[in-house]
Amino acid sequence: MSLFHGLDREAYDREYSDRELLRRIAGYFKPHTKRVAIVAVVIAAIAFVGAEQLFIISRGLDALLQDTESIPLGPVVALGAAVLVTGVLNWAGNWVRRRITVRIIGDVVRALRRDAFGAVVQHDMSFFDEFRSGRIISRITSDTEEFANVVQLVTDLLSQLTLVAILLVRLFQISWRLTLLVLGMSPIVLLLAMGFRRVARRVTREGFQVLAEVNAAIREAVTGIGVAKIFRQEDAIYREFSEVNERSYHVNLRRGFTLSMVFPVLNALAGVGTAILVYWGGLAAVNQEVSIGNWYLFLRSVDRFWFPLINVAAFWSQFQGGLSASERIFALIDAEPSVQQRKPRSPDQLQGEILFDSVDFHYKEEEQVLRDFNLHIAPGESLALVGHTGAGKSSIVKLIARFYEFQDGRIEIDGQAIRTFDLHDYRKQLGIVSQSPFLFSGTVAENIRYAAPGLPDEEIEDLARRIGGGDWVDTLPNGLQTDVGERGGRLSMGQRQLVALMRVLAQSPAIFILDEATASVDPFTETQIQETIEMILQRSTSILIAHRLSTVRAVDRIIVLREGRIIEEGNHEELMERGGHYAELYDTYFRHQSLAYVEEVGERRQ
Amino acid sequence: MSASEFEVSRSWQTNRSSAARWILSHVGRHGLFVAGMLVGAAGNAALAAAMQLLIGRAVNAVTSTPANLRGLATAAGLVAGSQLVRGLILQLMRNWSSEMLGQRIERDIRDELYASLIGKSMSFHDSQPTGDLMARATNDVRQVNLMFNPGVNLVVGSANFLLMPLIVAPTIHPQLVITPTIYLLAYAFAVRNYLRQLRPATERVREEFSEMNTTLAEAIDGIETVKGAAQETFESKRFTSDVTEWRNAYVDQGDIEARFIPLLLLGLVQGIGFFHSLLLFRAGAIGLDSVVSFNGLLLLFGFPTFAAQFAYSRVSSGLASARRILELITFQTELDQNVEGCEKAMEGSVRFEDVTFCYSPSDEACSPEDHNTALEDVTFHVEPGQTVAVVGQTGSGKSTVAKLISRIYDVDGGRVLIDGIDVREWNLEALRRQISTIEQDIFLFSRSIAENIAFGSPDADQEDIEEAARAAQAHAFITSLEDGYETVIGERGATLSGGQRQRLAIARAFLTEPAILILDDATSAIDSETEDRIQRAIERAAEGRTTFLITHRLSQIRWADLIIVMRKGTVAAVGTHQQLMEESPAYRTIFARYEK
Repeated sequence: MSLFHGLDREAYDREYSDRELLRRIAGYFKPHTKRVAIVAVVIAAIAFVGAEQLFIISRGLDALLQDTESIPLGPVVALGAAVLVTGVLNWAGNWVRRRITVRIIGDVVRALRRDAFGAVVQHDMSFFDEFRSGRIISRITSDTEEFANVVQLVTDLLSQLTLVAILLVRLFQISWRLTLLVLGMSPIVLLLAMGFRRVARRVTREGFQVLAEVNAAIREAVTGIGVAKIFRQEDAIYREFSEVNERSYHVNLRRGFTLSMVFPVLNALAGVGTAILVYWGGLAAVNQEVSIGNWYLFLRSVDRFWFPLINVAAFWSQFQGGLSASERIFALIDAEPSVQQRKPRSPDQLQGEILFDSVDFHYKEEEQVLRDFNLHIAPGESLALVGHTGAGKSSIVKLIARFYEFQDGRIEIDGQAIRTFDLHDYRKQLGIVSQSPFLFSGTVAENIRYAAPGLPDEEIEDLARRIGGGDWVDTLPNGLQTDVGERGGRLSMGQRQLVALMRVLAQSPAIFILDEATASVDPFTETQIQETIEMILQRSTSILIAHRLSTVRAVDRIIVLREGRIIEEGNHEELMERGGHYAELYDTYFRHQSLAYVEEVGERRQ
Repeated sequence: MSASEFEVSRSWQTNRSSAARWILSHVGRHGLFVAGMLVGAAGNAALAAAMQLLIGRAVNAVTSTPANLRGLATAAGLVAGSQLVRGLILQLMRNWSSEMLGQRIERDIRDELYASLIGKSMSFHDSQPTGDLMARATNDVRQVNLMFNPGVNLVVGSANFLLMPLIVAPTIHPQLVITPTIYLLAYAFAVRNYLRQLRPATERVREEFSEMNTTLAEAIDGIETVKGAAQETFESKRFTSDVTEWRNAYVDQGDIEARFIPLLLLGLVQGIGFFHSLLLFRAGAIGLDSVVSFNGLLLLFGFPTFAAQFAYSRVSSGLASARRILELITFQTELDQNVEGCEKAMEGSVRFEDVTFCYSPSDEACSPEDHNTALEDVTFHVEPGQTVAVVGQTGSGKSTVAKLISRIYDVDGGRVLIDGIDVREWNLEALRRQISTIEQDIFLFSRSIAENIAFGSPDADQEDIEEAARAAQAHAFITSLEDGYETVIGERGATLSGGQRQRLAIARAFLTEPAILILDDATSAIDSETEDRIQRAIERAAEGRTTFLITHRLSQIRWADLIIVMRKGTVAAVGTHQQLMEESPAYRTIFARYEK
């Protein structure tokens, strides 16, 4: 993971000072102070017991050598029992430590995820337009997980290092010369481990790159089988696949060879280290500088030194990785909303009158979208916005939904400034359907009820039956209780649009906003969609970004936009008669949907 | 494997009777590396044990009077030498051998899988989701690789470390075989138990995580709906409860891991072993050097103890993956090739007689209540050269009709006849060669546009390709690309719109000249001009051949020679535009709306 840091920076990312970062992290651990304290004590105890076991053995050996004549049974039993008890204590200590740590980590990660999610859903829409959802998701899941791993790593390493520290103190007391000998070899191991890390990193990065290529090639090969079979090109795609497969083999082999060298080399080195201690330690024992038991103690200590060293070599970058993971999470939590409400209060039942008064709006400063924009929509009126891409249609709609902040002018709903509403309560009175309507996993009925919780099944059934005589419900395998699948995947696009529109119908909002889908839908479902839209138009003030000819024909007023300005308005017939920009737009976008076009095709065929 | 449509000639064959045997038959082809791994592992363990004996010898040299300095030096020298050999030769040999084994087997089974996929029938590929195939071709194959390294490598390596004290200890004193034996038995029992408890716990953590992820992804992707409906608090609550579920599963897994009994056993055995060796020493049966050696040998158990935490689960998940891959390889595709069947040139008449079909996996008969019933009593007749519009809602059975024509599936009742001959009587290859299907999402290879158009007609030259592109209304946009016909699709942002891809596929059909063309035409045109182009291309393509258009376009429906209206798997109406306007109220409404 840490290899690719820097690639996923977002505009809302910020640098926290290490102090600030640690303070924030500490805040998450604060509710668990008692547990953290216990873990610390247990870690120290485990280290102490581990070191003590070695001392007991070495003392025991010395004691046995003292009186070779007849050894009483007592000390022998005591020694055996001591080793046994320390072994059990070591296990029990680890058991307690891991049980508590896993709870701390689980709780901290839960709190982080909860806070991150809570913050994210409160961000305004501009945030989601700007930042890819996949990345937001990975911050909430993967980054918190990476953080958890580092916490685990820190406790593991701490317990190993505590043991090393305790051992070192005792070893120094016994023989500083031999201790220096052990310490003297450490830098070599450390350097070697770090060197390996660098090489391993390189081959791993290469490996990842090639792996991505190979996976892409395999994807194509697998998806292409069908086409290849239709055209009888099996040999060709098999050859192509074989090449890729062979390449993947070579790269992976090289990577595998490099990575699997680490431990053999370190083991060989540790062996040499042991040999040195065997010899010099043995000499010291012969010269009576150390006892046999202490010599043995040194021999057994070598392993305990080297393992943490290998971990230390890897630790720093992982630790940094964990810190920057937490930095990314906090940045996500702290990202500031651009939509700011002044003195928010809950609006009464709205009538749906909308006023734009000299509104200026842009997403980025270089590109002004609306300038001095004026528009008045009467309560209950239905309005279609038409224009080329970038004319400002969706900006107007997004400002009404208060998804974005505008820079100048006034927007009023029922004569009250939009900035004074409590956003949550205000949006409850809006019904919004986007281009690719979104359904949540669950049944059709649950999705219809989403914005009007508590609506009884009978009323939903009743609403559904009013559209096309309920034919669309009959064609669903389980009627209204049909499971729509993840993101509504089990329904067709047309059915999804229908359900999203039914959702608005159930909600009966004061203001209805529709960004019409462009995807084509079978003519039967299309008819029912149109019927539903017309039904909503009767009940709510409606603003539609229109892509369908039937929609522009159904509304009270069409607003023709170009470069953020209203250049024409009126109903379909009036505007067609005028022969202006609307007539042009009609020719570009709507002509092929008309019956006249169908006839035209027929004439061409004659 | 006579049912396969594609074979690769290979020097090797595999045993596919079970996943374990299958993997073994792959392993069997790399005897050298297996030997390398086994010898390396055994030698590694032996020299690790030797080091403990040598340390004993060093102790002996120091404690003897007078001290044997030569002996000490020899022992130290041998420790260094043996450990260098152990690490740099034996351990490396073990690691590299298992690495070779893993990588080669990954390569070979991927090759075997791929070749077998090519050999499967169209109906297989049609029914298999690509995501699943991809997962097996990449992840599962990789899992099998990891099963060898680190999986089998560690299992074999640590097994030797388990056995070595058992072999070496009795050479010190016969009684000393007791403790290692106790450990071995207790270890086997404890590890088995541990893995049994761990597996469901790990599984649960994974499930809870993916559930949490789904909730999260849905809430973020549907954020506009969430905000629009002011449901932020509801979503937060839902997510928090998912996270709590995950947290509980995570803690449960942690508790099982914390209890890891083999570690307790290790502590016990080291205590018992130490005590036993001291008793023997006290009785004068062994010397101090032997005490040191023996307790050193017990340290060897550390490796298998820690390896047990993940080595065995690697192997078992590798085997599970192998099972999934093998399942795919041995999946029999039900359609026979019918090589002796009819091979004549097709004229293109199509007749459905009381056709019933259901997507049920088994041979069970279709029942009307069955949700899988896709078609019921479908009857219609199409003359050669006619253009047929098939209309209806998603799921009404439109695409199933198309799939039965090119015999991707066999009917469960009734008959499908082409030129009066049951499709089952046709030679499958001759049948498919003369029927072209253009799917909704068109697959293009990452090759040049020219190659993509000529795919399936390798003899076509540049002139033919351009002519086909012109007829398909694709020439203009192709030449507007910087590299024209040589533009490689997918490179440097050379992505094509749905309409452009569709026209390339139509151009392909002009070169292969099928007798029957099936076009799933659900792409939507954003503007009238593109719409016009697509219409013209399809009109040209439909000339002189039987054409089935699965379409939403009114202009295609209006002018088709025959219109089949599908509803819930049955033919709701069939006839010409005039007939349907008179007979079908549903059909009338779709045109009525446009009259307004």
